[in-house]
Amino acid sequence: MIQLHNISKLYDKNIKALDNISLSFKEGELVILKGVSGSGKSTILSLIAGLCKPTQGEVIVDGKKISKLPDHFAAAYRRDHIGIVFQRYNLISSLSVEENVLLPLFPLNLTRSVMQERANRVLEKFHIAHKQALIVKNLSGGEQQRVAIARANINDPKIILADEPTANLDEKLSREFIAILKELKSQKRTIVVATHDPLFFDLDFVDRTIEIEHGKLL
Amino acid sequence: MFLTPQIITLTVVNILFVIFATIAFVNALKVVLFYDKEATTQTQYILEKKSYLSATIIKFIFYVKIPLFIFFVYTLDDLSNILPGAMCAAGVVSATRYGTPLLFLKIINLYIFAFWIVLNKEDMLYEEQPYLKSKFFLYCIAYFLLIGEIVLESIMFGTLDVSSVVDCCGAIFSTTSQTYLATLLKLSPTILLGSFYGLYILLILFYIVKNRYIYSVLNILFVIVSLITLIAFFGTYIYQQPSHHCPFCLLQSDYNYIGYLLYIVLFIGTFYGFVLGLIEFPKERLQKSYNISLIYNTIYVIIVSYYPIVYYCKNGVWL
Repeated sequence: MIQLHNISKLYDKNIKALDNISLSFKEGELVILKGVSGSGKSTILSLIAGLCKPTQGEVIVDGKKISKLPDHFAAAYRRDHIGIVFQRYNLISSLSVEENVLLPLFPLNLTRSVMQERANRVLEKFHIAHKQALIVKNLSGGEQQRVAIARANINDPKIILADEPTANLDEKLSREFIAILKELKSQKRTIVVATHDPLFFDLDFVDRTIEIEHGKLL
Repeated sequence: MFLTPQIITLTVVNILFVIFATIAFVNALKVVLFYDKEATTQTQYILEKKSYLSATIIKFIFYVKIPLFIFFVYTLDDLSNILPGAMCAAGVVSATRYGTPLLFLKIINLYIFAFWIVLNKEDMLYEEQPYLKSKFFLYCIAYFLLIGEIVLESIMFGTLDVSSVVDCCGAIFSTTSQTYLATLLKLSPTILLGSFYGLYILLILFYIVKNRYIYSVLNILFVIVSLITLIAFFGTYIYQQPSHHCPFCLLQSDYNYIGYLLYIVLFIGTFYGFVLGLIEFPKERLQKSYNISLIYNTIYVIIVSYYPIVYYCKNGVWL
């Protein structure tokens, strides 16, 4: 489903984030990208999401060459197919929970009732409906992360990318996130998690763990 | 050479144009020569990024060029107050041998850049960007025309001499001189109006038939015939003087700046018609272009027809 062919990525012409790697992910697979900070995990997620382009090589998702898409088509692809959970959640702190979750729907020109129905569904699903009117800056870290997960899922993406999702959570909240991952996996979503949190490494529902060091696969 | 605030403004903007247009030209040339959509090399990804940069620069140049063209015409008109003998922009244009070619080049460049914008917009609608190489090849040609225009403009302003007496529009657009223009001005109203309204009827006909190639050619003819009939016939009714044929005095406040409206409407109408023959639009946008073209051309026909009709109704005679 997701293929990375001979990918290299340089930042500022001489910082090599990825060095000629090839990778593939099957549909419905849950893969952990393991490695220390700066190893290139987040760059892989950004490439799959079409947030950046490789310096060399190509990224193909469902037969579509993502790395060759013009920027506005990459944005549309991301909107329709990708849900991203960022390390720092990337929520808009001055908006409410519901408004943050609704954000990905605005470009779709849906009716207000359809948007509301979808928002209610994900808010219920990720157990944050009771806080929907609150401003997100007043929420705890775990709650903010659930909002981020709800937002990532509101378009029913086939691919979910999570970048260090538990870096700011304690163990209890991290295990809650893992439970959510398991649920998403059961829905046949393709999930790629970039993390160096040991909690992820011995999970029975994880299909593969890929270790990365200095931009190369180990 | 003398400098007025308007000439200084135009010169500064032209210098900026040269800098940005040259950056876009270098990138456009690389795209034309080395771009390969299928390649996944570092060079290709750099070219893809640079193609966005170049497209943005070219769009910026065009969006500035439209108001700048109007400002240029206004500047010519304003300079007529300084040049002895000039009554309007026509005197300034004819003051040097560079004025007329410059004006024609500016109009041609406006059409080319407008076409480039439409081509770019069409290109960006598809993932494969089917017109990418074509649009940058076109820009490479447009770049030289733009530089030519800027050089001509600089020479023209540089060679204007305030101590020389220049012709006024009455002399330049006189029917008694031995020029090609005078021959056109002497054409009978029957031929002029027959061509003008005949072409307009053909435009309507091919709008209905939807033959985009013929419709496109008709628009090129329509802009030429419209300008000739405006100078030779309709203008005299706007001025209400049978011997006044100047296309520039229409831009003055005495005539409510009607020239700006006429030229802008004619440009939009004929451009959207002309472009139909060059780009194969999907059905919906094809119809939109047809509609815009016919609507604006019709507005032009209504405005220019209004003047002789009102004149006849008021006075009971034709000029």
